[in-house]
Order: sequence, then C-alpha cells, then structure tokens
Amino acid sequence: MTGPEELFDSAKIKPDEAPRAFHQDLIDALRLGVISIVLLLIAAFFFSRIVHPLFALGSVEETAMDVLTRLILLALPFVAYIAAASVARRYTGADTVRALALALTCTVILFALISTGHYALDYGVFAPQPSLQMTLSQTDAGIRVDAIAPGGAAETAEIQVGDVITAIRRDPMDLQSFNRRVGQAAEGDPLRLRFIRGAEEMQETVRVVLVSDKQLGVLIPGLALGLIFTVIIVFLPGHWAPYIALVGLLSPLIVGYAWVIIATFSFRTEGLIPLDGNDNIGGFTLKNWESIFAGNISGLEFNIWPILMTTLAIAVVMTVVVLLVSSMAGYALSRMNFPGRRFFLSFTLILHGFPAITLLIPIFIVLLRLGNLPIIGDLIGFNTIGGIALVMVAFQLPLGVWLMKGFFDNIPWDMERSALIDGASRFRTYWEILLPQIRPGLLALGIFAFIGGWNAYIIPATYSIGSGVSNMPVFLNELIDETAPVDWNQVAAVGLFQLIPIFIFFIFAQEYLLNIYAGGTKGSS
Amino acid sequence: MRITIDNLTKKFGDVVGVEDLTLHIEDGEFVAFLGPSGCGKTTTLLTLAGIYKPTDGVIRFGDRVVNTVQPKDRNIGMVFQSYALYPHMTVFQNIAYPLKLKKVSKADQHDRVRQVANVMGIGNLLDRRPGQLSGGQQQRVALGRALVKEPDILLFDEPLSNLDARLRLTMRGEIKHLQKNLAITSIYVTHDQVEAMTMADRIAVMSGGHLQAFDSPDELYNRPKTQFVAGFVGNPPMNFVNVEVSQANGSYVAQAEALQLTLGAERGEPAARSDGEVVLGMRPEDIQISDAGDVAGEIFIVEPLGREDLIDVRVGPHSFIVLAGAETQYQAGDPVKLSFDMGQSQFFDPATERSLLWRQ
Ligand SMILES: Nc1ncnc2c1ncn2[C@@H]1O[C@H](COP(=O)(O)OP(=O)(O)O)[C@@H](O)[C@H]1O
Ligand SMILES: [Mg+2]
Repeated sequence: MTGPEELFDSAKIKPDEAPRAFHQDLIDALRLGVISIVLLLIAAFFFSRIVHPLFALGSVEETAMDVLTRLILLALPFVAYIAAASVARRYTGADTVRALALALTCTVILFALISTGHYALDYGVFAPQPSLQMTLSQTDAGIRVDAIAPGGAAETAEIQVGDVITAIRRDPMDLQSFNRRVGQAAEGDPLRLRFIRGAEEMQETVRVVLVSDKQLGVLIPGLALGLIFTVIIVFLPGHWAPYIALVGLLSPLIVGYAWVIIATFSFRTEGLIPLDGNDNIGGFTLKNWESIFAGNISGLEFNIWPILMTTLAIAVVMTVVVLLVSSMAGYALSRMNFPGRRFFLSFTLILHGFPAITLLIPIFIVLLRLGNLPIIGDLIGFNTIGGIALVMVAFQLPLGVWLMKGFFDNIPWDMERSALIDGASRFRTYWEILLPQIRPGLLALGIFAFIGGWNAYIIPATYSIGSGVSNMPVFLNELIDETAPVDWNQVAAVGLFQLIPIFIFFIFAQEYLLNIYAGGTKGSS
Repeated sequence: MRITIDNLTKKFGDVVGVEDLTLHIEDGEFVAFLGPSGCGKTTTLLTLAGIYKPTDGVIRFGDRVVNTVQPKDRNIGMVFQSYALYPHMTVFQNIAYPLKLKKVSKADQHDRVRQVANVMGIGNLLDRRPGQLSGGQQQRVALGRALVKEPDILLFDEPLSNLDARLRLTMRGEIKHLQKNLAITSIYVTHDQVEAMTMADRIAVMSGGHLQAFDSPDELYNRPKTQFVAGFVGNPPMNFVNVEVSQANGSYVAQAEALQLTLGAERGEPAARSDGEVVLGMRPEDIQISDAGDVAGEIFIVEPLGREDLIDVRVGPHSFIVLAGAETQYQAGDPVKLSFDMGQSQFFDPATERSLLWRQ
C-alpha cells in the first residue's frame, strides 16, 4: 500500500544505510533545485515567447499567457526550495539538525542564485520602478516635498522643495495613495499634481519615469520568507501535502463564498473586511436581508415570494419531466430495437452539442405561435412558466436521455427477463425492477436538472416579460440593471438568498447521496 | 405440462439462433439441452419463456399454442446463470415477487415464501439482500423464486456454472430430487455433459443451432447416432481414427497404418458395407493397456487425474486417449500393448458423420 505520505517520502533514509557526507547531500539538493529552476524557466519562456506570439491577435489569451508566465516566475523560488527541501526531508526524525542545516544552506544558496539572476535581468526587486524622483513625507496639510533629485522628473516639472501636494487631478491624496498611484503608472504617464506653494494653490504636470532603485533592503524579508517556507516544508507531515494542495486550489472558491457571506451582513466591504460608513472596521447590519423581505431595494419595488415560487416551479417541473422522459426514452433506446433508433441516438447527440443561444429566436417564434392556440397557449406559450420549463426541458433532454441509456445498458438483461417471467408487465418491470437499479443515475440527473432549472437565466429572461413570471436569476439581473448606484452588498444578499434552498437540499440529501454512491448498485450481478 | 416444439426457428437478423427445431417433451419430464457455447440453447429457452418471439414454427404448452402469449401469462419459473436476483429487495421480497404479481394475499405470500425458503434451506436469510449472500445461497434464492409460484414449467439456464465444483455436485442432486418430487416439466440447459448425463431423463444435444440428437443418456452414450454426439457425450471424449473395414475369411478386420483390429459380424457387417474409409470411434474406457493386447504403441503423455491416469498412447501416426488405474507407473516413452474392446466400437460415415450402426 502506498499512501500519500510514502509517496512524498519515498526516499526516507534507512538507519542501516552508510552515512553520506554533508556536501554530497548539499550537491544533490542544489542540483534538484537548479533543475527545477531551469525547467520552470523553460516553461516560462515557452509561454511568453512561443505561445504568446501565436495568440498575440486575441487579447484574452495574451493576458492569460502573461498571467501564466508571471505565476510561474513567482512560484519559481518556492518550487526550487521544495525540491531542495525534499532531499533534506530524508533526515527529519533521524537527524533533524542535519535536515535543517541542509535545507537552510540550500535555501540561502538558491536565493542568492535567483537574486543574482534578477539583478542581471533587471527583474523582480531590481526591476525599474515608476517614480517622480522626489522624496516626500506626510504632514497635516498634505504631502510635503522634502527633496528633489537633480535633473529628475520633478525638477523638470518645476516642483520645488517645500511644496505640499494635496491631490492628483481632483482626487485628494495622502502619501500612501499617492505612492500607490505612482506605482501603478506606466513610463511617460502624465500626472497633474495639485499643490500649495506658500499660500497659493498651483498645478503642474509631472511625467512618470522608470528608475531602477536597487533597494537591497527588500531582499531581507524575501530571504526570511524563503527560510521560513523551507523550514515548514522540511517538517510538514507528508500526509498533509494533498490537503494543502487542495485548499490552495480551492482558495478562490473559499474566498469568493466568504466574501458573499460577509458582504450580505455588512454595510460596505474592502476586500474581505467589513467597513462602516466611516471606513472603520465593523458596520455589521441586517438591512441587506431586511430589504429583500420588505420588497424594496434602492427604490426597486418587488415581492420576493412570487419570484421564489416561479423559480421553484420551473426547477420542479423541469426535474420531474426530465427524469420521467429521459428514463423512459433511455429505457427504450437501451432495450428495444425499432426503426430509426440509430438515427435518434446520433441526432440527440448532435442536438446536445447545439448551443442554446443559436436557437433563442426560432424558439421565441415557436412560443409566440403556441401562445395563440386556445388553452395550450396559456400553459406553454410565450411568457408562461410552462413555456419556459418546456424549452428548458427540451435543452436538458438529450443529455438526460444519453445518460439514462448508459445506465440502463449496464443493467443485466437477465434481471429484466427474470421479472417478465415472474409475471410483471413491461411497465412494472421498468418501474419496480429497473428504475431502482439506476437510482444513482436518476439522482445525478435530478440534481443537474433541479440546479439547472433553479439557476436558469437566459431562457427565462428571453421568454418572459415583466416580473410576472421572472425567476430569481432574472430578478437579480434586473436588480443590477435598474438600480444606480448598484448596492453590491444587496446583490450579494439576493444571490445568497437564492442559494439557500440548494444548501438546505444538500444538507438533507447528503446522507442519502453518500449512501447511494457507496452501495447503490451493490449486489447486482 | 407437455411441451411440443415444432420446426422452431429463431433468427436475430441474419444470425441464426436456432433453426428448425422439433422436440416433444412429456409431462413431468426432465430434459437437458446440451451443446457447446453459442449453439442456441439459451435462445431456445428464452423463446419458450416468451422473451423472444419465434421467427417460425409452433410452440405448444399442452394443447395451447403459446407463440404470442406474454411471458407473464405462461406460468413459467426460470433460473438464470447470473441468478438475476433483484439487488434492491430482500431475499423475502425476491421470493415473494412472483406471488405479489399474482395478487396473492399478504398472509399467503408469507406462508408460501417461508415454506419454499425452508425447503431450500435459506429460511434464516430472508431479511438479507442478495449482495450479502454467497453464490450458493443466491442460487437457492433464485431457485426458490422460480418454485414459489408453482409453475407448470421450470427452465434452468446453466444454473450451476458459477458455483465451485463441490457445491455444484450438491446442488445437482438437490435440483434433481426437487424436480422428481414436484414432477414439474423441466428444461435444463448446460454445456457440461456430466451434468446432463446425471440429471436428465432425456438429453437434446445441439450444435450450431440444430438438434443433433434427442435421447436418453444411455442411448446417447451407447448408440450415438452422429459423430458429433459420440464425441460430445462422454468424458474423456471418444477417440476417432479413419480405418478401412474388410471381410476376410468369416471375420471382419478394421485396418489402418500400424493398426489391425478384428471385429464381430454384428458391427463389422454394417461398417464394411460402405466403400473406402470409415471413422472408427473408441471410448477411452474401452481400450486397455495390457500385455495381452495386440496393438503395439508408445506412451506419449501421462496426465494424472487422481483416481486414474489419462494416458495418450501413440500408435503409428494415430493417438489414442486411454484410461489406466493410478497405481500403474507408466512413463512417457514406455512401449505398451493395447487391447481394444471391439464390441463397444462405433462406426461413422466420414462424409455425413452419421452412424453406420444406428439409424435414425
Ligand atoms: N439477442 C441476440 N441478438 C443477436 N444474436 C444473438 C442474440 N442472442 C443470441 N444470439 C446469437 O445466437 C446464437 C446462439 O446463442 P445462445 O442461444 O445464447 O447460445 P448458447 O446459450 O447455446 O451458448 C449465438 O451465435 C449468438 O451470438
Ligand atoms: Mg447460453
């Protein structure tokens, strides 16, 4: 048996092994570190110099490649530390001092190596920074200019020592926001500064220049971070690795949900931090939730309950019809031979690949015509819940039919024959014997259909007018469209409110789901 | 229930499942369908059960033509090789299912399921699910489910082939015993000729979708009407060798290279009537290794079976499988003498593969 721990520590040193010289291990570790650096550099080169030009026409891919390259370069030192530390890990437990010494030495050497590389390439901390070439300090009146570099950008723009800067254009600035603004500027960007000289208020435009100020001080925290990281890696229990990787990969999701939840209970948020009206931490409030039930958000009047009922109706109708039709069609396609069976199978597969958007207008016309029919029109015509559900069911069916056919294919014929011989009719066999065998499939499809119906947007939005039959997602969009300024905390509350039924469903169904997936078809031979 | 099958043909598109099968099965009879895999046994059985509709021909249960009768209206019990139990139901519910479909009252269902379960020796397992049972127990449940509705006809499709050898032996006896007691007309499909020989009143030997022979085990064994039947029935299988049979001064002689066998007129006469070569068939148990033998050969391989040894003896270009007691110590390469019991010899026409001794 090989657990994650053994995998990670496959080369743990054995007590009876001949002791190795320290420098041998050091060379091993450094070699690993350097190899991983080289590999990552090759990858970065590949993305930025080969893939990037290939996609240079499409701006989306361009930035994607940029981000990827930057991510690789950011991760590069850490990957090197991990590679080196993996050698040191052989000694944890047996010879901890040696493990630590080995890891830390490697980290220092690798750090020096990488920093030299950065220095040579003007990268990272050595990269030229946008600057206005003057020294500033915060005073009560504003940002005071303490010194000006001779011949620099500030001097060219005729800024003088003693000037007190108050704003860039109309935006009031303190030292922090001023530096941030300059840091984000590109070379040559003009910044129009408002400042007070003597008693007079003046304006001058300064052009940003790139200055390579080699602040070696920044390297110290960098090295410290590397050392701490290495120590953690050396002592990390091997079986934690998968969890850490998992949490790392899921962190965007976790942060996203955390924001939604925090936002709905706060007045305003800055990142994940809730703020009150005066920008102090705090400002917890229930008003976002209260206004959902009060039916008035930023002046938009509504009643949430009919909207909720519409959402529920669409989701339930869709689930029931999709399950019923898919399982019956799947059964027929799996078990019966009829003319057109092959055509039907390939046709539904093509339909499944058809994007719904392309059919929006034709279906709109069909629904309008249907609406003109007596009685039927009121049920499934344009601007009815039935019509919306019908269209959504139609889009879900190809997938459902194929899924169900696959599940039926896996039921042995003998079980069905046995039921028929035992005296069951064809329908009873399907209902009492076969359906229970595909419960996991029904459940999966049911969940797909329900969540799809609950969150449906495009089709309900296209085929309904006014909030008479609009569902939650449509309402959410309306909220964003028709209020100005948009209160995002309010939007988050409505979004979370929409999720509540799904949460409840999963909390109650969890036990059942686990059961089904663990032992659903056990015993079928 | 008497079963009459006349000229039954079942095709799947171009694939022939079974062709022109005529078979009359008496009330209470235990018939085995024996044949190699893919010869159409299951197809025939499922056609009888009503799962497949015959392409051609007539099936009668008693006097009733059942060609288009639904499976549920045929009152048949069937046991499958895969058991085909319903995994989501308990053993009780599995056995009770046919009764439930017949709308038998709850109390009656309970009594009858208990009774059948006790006969099958699974009375203590009624609350379990099939997944929690061993293969043998599952098989008993399947049998119980087939029996509980008191069917007119019982169909078995290789019911024992998933069991281990020992259990197979026990179940073989039990099924036969049950069938005799209940006197339900039964058809038992198998590719294992020992099973067919020991259990069945009559055996229908099938091959390639055709009926080869339909006779009692003894008849099939002693008077095989085709070479296929002779080769398929009996274990280890019959030895075949091409010979020329001629009459010489009152007695008959079967001759081949390195082989010369004298035989009586009873078998020699019909065999000699045809011109040229005929196929001589000898069962391994009818050839003895003995110093009194008149055929010289050499031992090629010895395969110990425990109770006896299976010995491949080469006589000139021919090879004979022979049985010898395990106490004998033959080695490959030993020269031996064989004595043939020609009173048990069989002769077949090489062209038609029909027996020259026994006419259809
Ligand atoms: N449902 C079917 N569709 C097509 N061909 C079939 C079907 N069932 C059986 N066959 C074919 O019919 C022949 C007889 O099969 P079967 O009755 O299952 O053989 P057996 O039970 O003797 O092993 C085989 O060639 C098989 O491939
Ligand atoms: Mg079969």
